Amino acid sequence: MAEAGDRAREEFFSETQEIVEGFGRDLLALDEAQRAGRAEPELVNDIFRAVHTLKGLAGLFGAARISTLSHELEELLDDLRLGKVELSAEVLDVLFKSVELYSKLLQSEKEGTEAPGGEVDELVRSVRRATGGGGAPSPFGQYDLDPGLLAVLTEYEEHRLRSNIAQGLSLFRLRVVFALATIDQALDDLKSLAKPLGEIITYLPTGSGADADSIELDILIASRAGAEDLVRALAGKGVSVEEIPRHGARSTPKPSVAPQSKPRPQLPPSILAPPMEPAPDSESAPDIDIARAPDSDNAALGGVRNPAAAQSLRSVAQTVRVDIHKLNRLMNIVGELAIVRTQLARLVERLRASQSDRSVTTDLHRLQRTFDRHLAAMQQGILEVRMVPLGQVFDKLARVVRQISREADKSVNLVITGAETEVDKLIVEELSDPLMHMMRNAIDHGIEGKAEREAVGKPTVGTIALNAFQKGSHVVIEIEDDGRGVDTDTLLQAAVRRGVVTPEEAPQLSMREVLNLVFLPGLTTKANVSELSGRGVGMDVVKTNIAKLGGVIDLTSETGIGTKFTVTLPITLAIISALMVRCSDRLFAIPLANVQEAVVLDSGSVREIDGREMITLRGGTLPLCALARLFDLPPPAEEGGDIAAESSARAQLPASSIGSGSSAKSRWGNVARTGARTLRQFIVVTSVGSRRLGIVVESLVGEQDVVIKALGPSLKGVRGFAGATELGDQRIALVLDVQALVEETLASSERRGFELKGGHG
Amino acid sequence: MRTFVRTVLEQGPEEVEVQEAASGFDALRLLPRASYGLVITDINMPDINGLELLRFVRQGPQHRDTAVLVISTMSSERDRERALALGADVFLPKPFSPEALRDAVAKCREIRGAGGARPEVT
Amino acid sequence: MADFVRARSRVGLTRRGAPTDRGPRTEYLAFRLGEDVYAGPVSLIREILKPPPLTPVPRAPFAVMGIVSVRGQLVTVIDLRRRLRLPEAGPTRRARVLLVNPTGAETLGLYVDEVLQVYRLADSEIEHAAAALGGEVAPYIAGIARPIIAAASSQSAGQVDASLVILLELRSLLAS
Repeated sequence: MAEAGDRAREEFFSETQEIVEGFGRDLLALDEAQRAGRAEPELVNDIFRAVHTLKGLAGLFGAARISTLSHELEELLDDLRLGKVELSAEVLDVLFKSVELYSKLLQSEKEGTEAPGGEVDELVRSVRRATGGGGAPSPFGQYDLDPGLLAVLTEYEEHRLRSNIAQGLSLFRLRVVFALATIDQALDDLKSLAKPLGEIITYLPTGSGADADSIELDILIASRAGAEDLVRALAGKGVSVEEIPRHGARSTPKPSVAPQSKPRPQLPPSILAPPMEPAPDSESAPDIDIARAPDSDNAALGGVRNPAAAQSLRSVAQTVRVDIHKLNRLMNIVGELAIVRTQLARLVERLRASQSDRSVTTDLHRLQRTFDRHLAAMQQGILEVRMVPLGQVFDKLARVVRQISREADKSVNLVITGAETEVDKLIVEELSDPLMHMMRNAIDHGIEGKAEREAVGKPTVGTIALNAFQKGSHVVIEIEDDGRGVDTDTLLQAAVRRGVVTPEEAPQLSMREVLNLVFLPGLTTKANVSELSGRGVGMDVVKTNIAKLGGVIDLTSETGIGTKFTVTLPITLAIISALMVRCSDRLFAIPLANVQEAVVLDSGSVREIDGREMITLRGGTLPLCALARLFDLPPPAEEGGDIAAESSARAQLPASSIGSGSSAKSRWGNVARTGARTLRQFIVVTSVGSRRLGIVVESLVGEQDVVIKALGPSLKGVRGFAGATELGDQRIALVLDVQALVEETLASSERRGFELKGGHG
Repeated sequence: MRTFVRTVLEQGPEEVEVQEAASGFDALRLLPRASYGLVITDINMPDINGLELLRFVRQGPQHRDTAVLVISTMSSERDRERALALGADVFLPKPFSPEALRDAVAKCREIRGAGGARPEVT
Repeated sequence: MADFVRARSRVGLTRRGAPTDRGPRTEYLAFRLGEDVYAGPVSLIREILKPPPLTPVPRAPFAVMGIVSVRGQLVTVIDLRRRLRLPEAGPTRRARVLLVNPTGAETLGLYVDEVLQVYRLADSEIEHAAAALGGEVAPYIAGIARPIIAAASSQSAGQVDASLVILLELRSLLAS
C-alpha cells in the first residue's frame, strides 16, 4: 500500500506541475492579449479550469495550502469569467504571483519543508482585494430565445451570452446533423469554420431527428457578421443558419438554408432582420473584452513570440509524461548493450581471422551489423526522448522578467526566438537559475531607466532578446540587451583594487580579458553595486553552473549600445564519443568533441617557456600537460629492477628527456633507472573554444561511445573530471573535463609566468 | 477526476462496470448503445454542457429512469437548481471525498433502484 | 544450557538469567577495522558486497578509495580506516564494502576489513561515549558496547576479541 501511495504522490506532483506550467503559459498569452486590447474568454476559462483542477487534486492529497490558494483563485477567476471583475493589471499581477507561489508550494510539499504560509495569506488578501467590486451584469432578454435553450445554459454560458449581446452582436442558431461516429472530426471542422466569425456559446442536442447513429445539434453562436456571411462560410456542411430576432423586429426570420442540407423547404438566402443597433444599455458590463491596460507608467512587458512557436507550445499534442529515472535506467541498459556490441564485434573479428566456417562467419558478420544499426537507432531514440524544448525554461523567464521589470520600474520588451530548440531534460532543469540570474542582471544593471534612455536617444522601452538555436552538436543561447553595456573602466578598477590584476597589467588586458573579469568571484558585492555598474552579482556562480553542464559562457559588450551573453551547451550529457587513453595502467576517456588530433611525443621538441612546457605544432604553440604528473599517478611498471627485461610485455615507460634544464626532467614522471628503452608517449591535442592543450598520455587505446555518469556529491570538489563511464566487467574509466584542465594548466602557468616577470624581469 | 471516480466506484462494495466518456459528445455516442444504471457528469464541459446532457438523457425513452448524479462546483447555486429542476437525482459539489461519492451513488440507487454499468463524463 | 542462538545470522546479546526487558533494542552490524571492532546501525546498511573492481579517483579527499560500479550505479567508496585515522593494512580476503546512505543524498561504500556479526543492543547496554572515554570525543562515535558473552555461533571464526565494540554515528562520520 505504501508503494501505491508513493506512486500516487508522484503522479500528483507531476500532474500538478504540468497544470501549473500550462497555467503560466496561458497567463502570458492572456497578458499579451489584454495589452493588445483583445478579449480571450477561452483563455480565462482555461485558467479557471486549471485552478479548479488544482483545487480538486490538492484536496485529494491533503496539500492544504495549495487547496486554499486554489479555492481563493477559483473564486476570482469565476468572477472574471462571469464578468463580475475586470481583468486589470492588478488582477493579472495577482495571477502571475500565484503561479510562482504554486511552484514554491509544490516544492515545499515535495521536500517536506515548511510551506511559505505567510506568502499564501498575503496573496489571498490580494485576491480578495481584487475580487471586491464589479458592476452588475446587464440583463438580456430582448432576444427571442427559446426558453428551453435558456434553461440548459450554465451560468458561464449565460454570461458569455450576455456579454456578447451587450456588445451588440447578433445571435444565430445553427442546426446540423452529425453522424455520431465522426462527430469529433466534423465538429472540429465546423468550429474552425465558425470561430473566425464569432463565438460559439453552446451546443444543444435537439433530441429530434436522431437515430442511434446520428444526432441533431443546435449551435448558438454570436457574431458580428450577417446571416449570409455565415451561410457562405458554412456552405456544404449541411448546416442551416437561422438568426435569432430581437424584439422589435417585425419580420419573422426565415431560415437560410445551405445547399445540400437535409430535405427542407428551399428558401432563398435572405437578409433577415433590419440592421441591428448596438445595445442601448447605459450601464455597460465591466467586460473582459473591453478592459485596457492602464497606461504604461506601470511597466509593460511584452512577450512576443513566433506565432508558430506559440502554437506548438500551447497545443499539448500527444505527449507522455515520463519519469526521468525510468529514462536513466533505459540509458543504463543501452550502455550495457553497447558494451556487448563491442565484444561481439571483437568476437566476429577473431572468427574471421581464424578462417573457420566461412559462411557462418559471414552470416554472423551481417547479423552483427544489423544489430549495430538497431542499437544505434535505439540509442538515438532514447536520447531524443530526453529532449525537451527550451520553451519550458523560457516561459518561466518571461514571467520573471515581467516581475523584475515592474519592481525596477523599467519598461522591458522580451523577444524570444527558438523556444522550440530542444535540449536534454537534465540540462534544462539546471539552466533556469543561471539564465534567471543573467536576466536579472540585464534588467537591473543593463537596461537604463526611462529618463536615461530618452536622454541618449534610445526608445523608452528596453529590449532583451532571448535566442536559442542549434549549432552542430551544441545549443547556443543568447541573451542580448540594448542597455548601457558593461562599464569596463569601473570593472577594471575594482579588479585592481581587489588585487586580481596588478596596475601594470591593467592597461595591457584585451577587451575580452577585461570583460571576463565579470566572472571572477568576489568582484562585486551588493555594497559596491553602485560603483560597478556592470554585471557581477553571482556571475561566477553562473559560470560554474554552466560549466557543470559541460558548457561555456562568453560575453561581448559595447558601451552605450548593449551587452550580449552567449551560452554554448552540449545537446546531451549522456552519451558521447570519447578517445580512450591509458596512463599508469589506468584508462581515461577524453570527449572526442574536444579532441583535435593525436601526435607522437618527440621529447626533443619540448620547450619550456615562462614556466610552461610546450611544443610547436603546425606553426602554433601548444602548451602541454602530463596526465601522470597532474594527477600524481603512480608509475605503471614495477619500480626499479631490471625493467628492460620485462618491458616487452608492458608498454608504459615515460619519456625521459626534455630540451632544457634538469629540473624539467623530473616533471615527466619517474625515469627508468636503467635508462632502458624509453617508449613512446602521445600527445592528445585538445581544444576548448579557442584555447588548446596537449595532454600527454602513455598510449591511445581507441575511440568508443561511452555513457557518462556523474560522480556523486561526495566527489564534487574534485576538479578535472566530467564523470566516469563503465567499460564492461564493472571496470571504470574516468572522463576528463577538458575545459577544467585547460583552465588549470593555463592559469597556473600564467601565475608562474607573472611571478617570473615580476621577479626577475 | 475521471480516473479518481472510476477508482472509487470500482473499489465499492458491489460489482460495477464503468464506462468512461471523454466528452459530452462521447457520452451521446455511448448512451444509445446500452442501458446504464447511473450517469455521472460534470456541469461545466466544453461543447455540450452537463445540463444539456442531462436534458438529453431525460428526454429519450431509453434512459428516462436512469439515475443521474451531477458533480460541480458549489459556487453556482443557479446551476445546482437548474440541474435538479432538469431531473438530476443527486447534486454533489466538488471537492468531495471518496465517502461522499459513495454515499451519493448509494442515494441514487435508492431513488432509482439497482443498475448496471454507468458511464461517466468529466 | 539455554540456547541463545536465534535463527540465521542473528545472534542475541545475552546476560545471565532470564531475558528481562531492557528496553527497545537496536541492531548493529559489527565489523573489523585493523585490530578493533566497530559497528553501525543495521537499519542504515543497505547491502554488503565483496569489493568490486575499484578505480581510484585522483585528487579525491584522503579517505576516498575510489569508485566502483554496483549494478550500473557509480558508488564512491570510503576507506574507513583512513577516515578514522587508523593504521593501514593491505587488502584481505575477507574485506567487504558496506553500502550505506545515511543522509539519503548519496549511496556510499564503506570499506571494512571483515564483517563480523549483528548485535542487538538495548540502550542500557551502551555506554555513551563521553562518559566512557572522558572529555572530547569525536562526534561520530555514538558509544561503546561491551558484549558480555560472545555468542556460540558468530559469522567470523571467533578469533577477534569482541569485548569492546565502538559504535559509529554514520551520519556525522560521512557528513564531510
